[in-house]
Amino acid sequence: MQSLDPRVNRLPIPESWGELRAKTPLDQLETYEVFHQAKPDKAFEHAGIVHAPNDDMAFLFGKEQYSRRGNTCSGIWTVATHKVMVTPYTEGDTSLYDLFEGEQQHAAQTEAYEIFHLKKRGKQHVHAGTVQASSYDDALAVAQATLNDGKMVYNAWVIKSSDFFKSNAEDVDMWNTLYEKKYREAIDYRAQDKINQFKEEQNLQNHG
Amino acid sequence: MYGGGNTFEAQQMGGVENEDPIKLAEFEARIARGEKIEPNDWMPALYRKQLIRMIEQHAHSEIIGALPEGTWITRAPGFKRKLALMAKVQDEVGHAQLLYSAAETLGKPREKMIDDLLSGKSKYSNIFNYPTFTWADSCFISWLVDAGAIVNQLANSKGSYGPYCRALERICAEESFHLKYGHHCVIHMATGTPRQRKMMQEALNRWWGPMMHFFGPPDKASVHTEILVKWKVKMATNDECRQQFLDMYVPKIWELGLNIPDPNLKKNPETGEWEYTEPDWEEFKRVINGDGPCNAERLAVRRVAEERGAWVRKALLKPEAAYTTPLA
Repeated sequence: MQSLDPRVNRLPIPESWGELRAKTPLDQLETYEVFHQAKPDKAFEHAGIVHAPNDDMAFLFGKEQYSRRGNTCSGIWTVATHKVMVTPYTEGDTSLYDLFEGEQQHAAQTEAYEIFHLKKRGKQHVHAGTVQASSYDDALAVAQATLNDGKMVYNAWVIKSSDFFKSNAEDVDMWNTLYEKKYREAIDYRAQDKINQFKEEQNLQNHG
Repeated sequence: MYGGGNTFEAQQMGGVENEDPIKLAEFEARIARGEKIEPNDWMPALYRKQLIRMIEQHAHSEIIGALPEGTWITRAPGFKRKLALMAKVQDEVGHAQLLYSAAETLGKPREKMIDDLLSGKSKYSNIFNYPTFTWADSCFISWLVDAGAIVNQLANSKGSYGPYCRALERICAEESFHLKYGHHCVIHMATGTPRQRKMMQEALNRWWGPMMHFFGPPDKASVHTEILVKWKVKMATNDECRQQFLDMYVPKIWELGLNIPDPNLKKNPETGEWEYTEPDWEEFKRVINGDGPCNAERLAVRRVAEERGAWVRKALLKPEAAYTTPLA
């Protein structure tokens, strides 16, 4: 194979490939859910996922994937997908909390859980608040009592706070470099003047 | 943004005969109300299968499409162009990540999608099987291939599957830079020295045929077309996308004094439709089936990257890692 790209020609591409072996499960590593905060006074929202080998890399990939372009990020949280407890989804006018019948445990030993609500179908889960609880069910019961504003909640995600990898408020300058990347902005590529000048020159040439 | 307008449909796909009629009616009512379908919702097998196919092809197109442009990073004319092209290529690969994630929510693991790309089972946009001989080819892609993809993806972003729509909204938000950058590059060449102008014209001559192929052959109503339109999976026909592209970009090409290599290209003032010479659809089929100038190179580069990185991924994999389908 002869490529126009000298770098491709330097690759160890064999004359003929052996049989393509199917990738093994987890070849692409685990999935992590990424939550993004647009501004310091805004709630964290689910942004999407990344594949990563560990918390550190998930955070790094999450930052690269979901906080690019624009000055709209002040925080990123990531958590392994399998650590998210997902409630059943509800339909129509039935809110999740109308159906949930769990009771608060009021246990002596509690820890923090983050609660995310889906308040509109087609939109993202949004952070509703943090509760202290002894289990996932207990966390949902506490959320029912303290975070339920009576509006529709179609679904909730309950996640232990300790399972997150979170950016710190004092690290907010990690997004500052975005201000200097004008070459990544459409506004840096104005060219109408050049087109107009070109047309004028063409007119002059054609009509003398 | 590189996603090709044409989604290669499976030859054999079951319909809705075996679906639960009550669930199907609820599903269709939800779409009719303008609500999005989410991964945990019930959906017909045909809907799931066609969406996986469509989103996966789009993801492959992003990652393969980065190759013909990426090849010009080292040879981009000047530091600023180099920075911008690196940023653009990085964006495109990021778009692939977003799209693979959206497809994964439908139940196909990323490993399987990459396997299917490398084996040739899954397709990607045909246009990336053509070579970029000069910098001007890279300029053409940055402006006009991206423009074509935007026409298609803006339509798809109004579709019914929530994760795909959200990924497309995020992708489209990054596109204005690509389009303006590409246009800027072409303007610079077209209004530059006679040699630059010649380079740009030659690139346009090379790429016009593949660009017309980009949206796919004229739509023949397949057995599933009607239902895919009803389910808001297929949002516009290939011809509608092609017409929209011509309407938006032919005047912009002409105003730069470039000649589009089709003597029959003109807008019919009565119908408002563009008339053009049909591109060589036999060539299109040949290239799809692997016989294009760069099919082998594109897949080889991708396969080398996968195989070279395998040991790193293996070394990093935690024994307790468990695959979970992404949530949304």
